Amino acid sequence: MDRQPTLLGSCARAATAAEARFRINAPAFTQRCSRVIALDEQAAEVVGDLAGRTWHGGHFLVFESEVPGDALLRLAAGGGQPTATALLSEELDGADTVVMVAGPAASPAAASLIGDAAAARGIMTAGLVLPGAAPVDGAVAALRPNAMVLVVLGNSADLLEVLSALRV
Amino acid sequence: MLKQEINDLLTQTGPGKPMGALFRQYWLPVLLAEELPENDCAPVRVKLLGELMIAFRDTEGRYGLIDEFCAHRGVSLWFGRNEESGLRCPYHGWKYDVSGQCVEIPSEPDERGSSLCAKIKLTSYPLVKLGDVLWTYMGDPAKTPDLPEWEFARVPAGQSFTSKRLQECNWLQALEGGIDSSHVSWLHSDGLRNDPLFKGAQGNKYNMSDRKPFFEVVESDGGLFIGVRRNAEEGHYYWRVTPWVMPSFTMIPPRGDHPIHGHFWIPIDDENCWVFTYDYHPTRPLTDSEVQAMREGKGVHNQFVPGTYRPLQNKDNDYMMDREAQKRGDTYSGVKGISMQDASLQESMGPIVDRTKERLVSTDTGIIMARRKLWRAVEALRDQGVTPPGVDTVHQAVRSAAIVLPKEQPFIEGCGDALTVRPGEKHASV
Repeated sequence: MDRQPTLLGSCARAATAAEARFRINAPAFTQRCSRVIALDEQAAEVVGDLAGRTWHGGHFLVFESEVPGDALLRLAAGGGQPTATALLSEELDGADTVVMVAGPAASPAAASLIGDAAAARGIMTAGLVLPGAAPVDGAVAALRPNAMVLVVLGNSADLLEVLSALRV
Repeated sequence: MLKQEINDLLTQTGPGKPMGALFRQYWLPVLLAEELPENDCAPVRVKLLGELMIAFRDTEGRYGLIDEFCAHRGVSLWFGRNEESGLRCPYHGWKYDVSGQCVEIPSEPDERGSSLCAKIKLTSYPLVKLGDVLWTYMGDPAKTPDLPEWEFARVPAGQSFTSKRLQECNWLQALEGGIDSSHVSWLHSDGLRNDPLFKGAQGNKYNMSDRKPFFEVVESDGGLFIGVRRNAEEGHYYWRVTPWVMPSFTMIPPRGDHPIHGHFWIPIDDENCWVFTYDYHPTRPLTDSEVQAMREGKGVHNQFVPGTYRPLQNKDNDYMMDREAQKRGDTYSGVKGISMQDASLQESMGPIVDRTKERLVSTDTGIIMARRKLWRAVEALRDQGVTPPGVDTVHQAVRSAAIVLPKEQPFIEGCGDALTVRPGEKHASV
């Protein structure tokens, strides 16, 4: 194949450093709809603390129980605020990311229920395992089949950073 | 997404910057040994962490890395005469040894013993040959760490090959490509079929048959292990495990009995970096055909503009983009070669990517964790003087691995000591 000549004005070099840095200053996306779901009580405590911060529309929830064909979640709220409940299916409607947060007592059944429901809707899943004194093998095993990305956090403060980086 | 001040913190490595201080805790690859091939050879300009220096090899074979400019009138010592155990400025004959000490001022009455001469010493850093690479340490001499123990630099000669290339963007966005395993199934999909340094491995079949891998990130003492799993035979996963060791070392998981390879991303300044690319085999010499392939730019190496370490495919020629090959599917992006497929896209982000505008997804969690570890280490060093991970040579004794494990087995447990250097033992690879 004859290559097209690379003209000065058409190559990637044809920009000053300042031009190369320039980007159109307009948002290229609409707000994300993230759901952060704690799978056990230790995770619920951490997620509840984070829920009080300012986020980009993310919902912070706690897995309560399985109900026929669905799961019951409660809204995570720190500081003893009143809580409300919601069905998993309602929360996943329109969601684009589900982040499951697990402590050592995370239930494989809960992870499976949420993971399957998210997969059925084409929603990306991530699993974050909290560090702690107790072994996290059970939490990792619970999340492994159900989270496309699984991270064992080395530091609790990293949870805030990961969620911030994801614009939850 | 990162706040602007954190992006600045992580990307600025010049003198006085916190990330610059972090890089100055480590032995860093600075030149290939081939750049100073013999005693009294031509000196080489070096720019590293924003500092301009000259490297030379004196009459006794000692290596020196000193301030580029003569203390007298500021002439670049690249023009110097490398002779009789020192580098002499051609302007007025001032001469420096490998420690930067001025040893002659010919215009002075007593040229060797003048008191003025003894008072002049250029900034200098140690320069040490290990493997195919010359390494330097630019930090506090009182805290000089042990020499590096990276396996690629410690195996016998003939078992290792290293190249380097210029990358025209900030070091961090280049490094992040080495941590971001999710791009491999797309951008590099052609390499597994055709490249002589990859093809033929059983693991390639798993790669090609499962294009939606799952990821696991586990912290290590030196950085992270990033595990990527794909479906293998019934009840099993195929795992590819990439270690990242701070600040900028990564090792790509191996394929079959091919050599293992990986990279070091070293800041030249805030808008350019060197990529040192190594290939080695822990238990056997590289074959002639493997070395030939590496010299020809196969695998993760690349071709160069003759006489330079600038890639032949670069931003001046649009990386020799081939739209027909892109359409045919010969390459996914139209750019040939794994290293330039990566570099072309990373350079296209701009000199320093604006991370306040990025839109990360969950498969970017490895990158998020790496940034977080760097950020934490920078602050711990700056605020409390804590030595960062990766300085301890124990942290450097890592290997990548490609392994098939039962589905229920965590990769860290299943890999066992496969993720650790075992001298004389083969790497774990399928």
